Amino acid sequence: MNLVRKTNTYYLYFLLFLFPIMVAADYYVIKYSVNYEVNDVLLHESERIRYALKENGNLPNSNYVYETKSIPEDYSSQNQFGDTLVFEGYANELIPYRTYQFTVAYGSQKMKISLRHVLLEMNELILWLFATTTFVLLMLAAGLFLINQRIYRWAWKPFFHNLSQLKDYHIASKQPVLLKPSNINEFKQLYAVISALMDQVKKDFQTLKEFNENISHEIQTPLAIIRNKMVLLLESENLDENEMQWVQAVYQEVNKLSKISKSLTLISRIENQEFTRLDIVDISTIVNNIISNMEEIIRFKNLELRIKLDQVKIKCDLILANILFTNLIKNAVQHNHEGGYITMLLNEEKFEIINTGEVSKIEPSQLFHRFQRGDAVTDSLGLGLAINQKICELYGFRLQYDQHGDTHTFSLFF
Amino acid sequence: MMKVLVIEDNVELLRDIKSFLEEEGNICEIASNYRSANDKIGYFPYDILVVDITLPDGNGLDIIKAIKKENIDMGIIIISAKNAVGDKIHGLEIGADDYLTKPFYLAELNARIKSLFRRKAYHGSREILFNEIKIKPDSLEVFVDDHLLNLTKKEFDIIHFFVVNRHRLLTKEAIAEHLWGDDIEMVDSYKFIYTHLANLRKKIAQLGGNDYIQSIYSVGYKFTDRE
Repeated sequence: MNLVRKTNTYYLYFLLFLFPIMVAADYYVIKYSVNYEVNDVLLHESERIRYALKENGNLPNSNYVYETKSIPEDYSSQNQFGDTLVFEGYANELIPYRTYQFTVAYGSQKMKISLRHVLLEMNELILWLFATTTFVLLMLAAGLFLINQRIYRWAWKPFFHNLSQLKDYHIASKQPVLLKPSNINEFKQLYAVISALMDQVKKDFQTLKEFNENISHEIQTPLAIIRNKMVLLLESENLDENEMQWVQAVYQEVNKLSKISKSLTLISRIENQEFTRLDIVDISTIVNNIISNMEEIIRFKNLELRIKLDQVKIKCDLILANILFTNLIKNAVQHNHEGGYITMLLNEEKFEIINTGEVSKIEPSQLFHRFQRGDAVTDSLGLGLAINQKICELYGFRLQYDQHGDTHTFSLFF
Repeated sequence: MMKVLVIEDNVELLRDIKSFLEEEGNICEIASNYRSANDKIGYFPYDILVVDITLPDGNGLDIIKAIKKENIDMGIIIISAKNAVGDKIHGLEIGADDYLTKPFYLAELNARIKSLFRRKAYHGSREILFNEIKIKPDSLEVFVDDHLLNLTKKEFDIIHFFVVNRHRLLTKEAIAEHLWGDDIEMVDSYKFIYTHLANLRKKIAQLGGNDYIQSIYSVGYKFTDRE
């Protein structure tokens, strides 16, 4: 639900709540003031009659008098207002009247005079009140709605502009995000906070990036040196069999360390979105190159290749595409058994690679985790699939693994 | 004899490269920073320049640009810890001939330097000789006593790599990386190297060649006629 809708809903709730209160209030206020007015008229009339009786000694003409009654002298009665209903034959219904009874001395006698004044019909009054109140409230609602819409469209304009700017924000991009200024204080504050936040994030990102670059640079060089010295040691004539084995073990571990560091650096560089090149990559060419690079290994393992590749081009970084497909094909070769087969299928929708191999004990979902190996026997690092997963995340591809007995299927959906 | 200038900020690595290249019979000068590199290039005509991009006081790419601007004829190999296609393409665009990602095997660097020098100095026409074995790198042909060896692409790569790095210990890791690239970290690739070498030995023996491939423990191999 967007903001304007939400606001309007609240306005509506408020107006619905207000409506009966307003009708009731109007009803009582109008009733009160009408009564007050009528009371005034009746009081005025009573004073006029009283005066006339005193001065002239007879009852003046009055349209309000409907009853005069002589009462005993000792009878005391309060002057009082009242309401009554009178049946009017012409209308064939009861009509409300306001009454006023008062006593007056008339010579030696005492007289009780009742006055009455027709009242407005309350039913009708309520109806009209209801109608006018509804009308006013509807106008109010419409007005609020329009104003709200206006505010939403105009006052929030820079907000939405900036929102779309921020949606396209890319931490690795060098282009600064240009936020449109606004004269609304809240927005000003928001933009100030966002700008500060972005600066901070950018700075942190930069630090992290530098850290990664340093790690990759600073670790690889010492490793290279260790490796070179190890080769020198291995070439030396003075080592005995045992020492030679130790040196060899160190040499192999150093190589492994170097590969781990390279792979982890690659993963974090993908995560940092440092690969921003969009080469137009011909997948079938890449796949064919990789196959021809491994041709002899495939022949040595006596693997049967069944390949059907369409011409498919995708946009991505060339290096990453090479790594992605190399890992997939390498996996299929490496985890295959002698005399097995590999099926590759490429079309616009997906790349599918099926290979025979050992039955894997690992949950398919665990397979993409770092350092997870399909079989403990091999010495591989288990980073290949984690790297593939990262590459897929970067480009919105989907990598899926299925196992049916001893056949393994990786499907890469573009 | 080939004159090489190596620019690299790590002195230890620099020393390794220098002694390796000198053992190969080359003249090797070294520079550990941008300034001394610039000085040396001005003084002396080198055949090959090996340059690290990240230097403490400057960028290796600027050295390449300066060389290209002054039209100095020099083969250039970039060594960099960054494995980024952008860097590589940029380096090659401004005139470098080759690009090697750190950490590299010295044997690999040696092979790259030699083939670059061969392309530059002899326009690729020179043959590589080792006793009765003759390699023509351009046509990917190998002869034993002038008889053509019938080799697969990988077999050719191996013998070429061996002959270029003769008398040196080549570890299985270095051979595997040379053959398949460093993206293929194959578990059983060493088994395949063994198979390749077995085939290669057989083919050379059939043409009456000597077996120069020595197995060094289980670490690697040496191609040599010395005992």
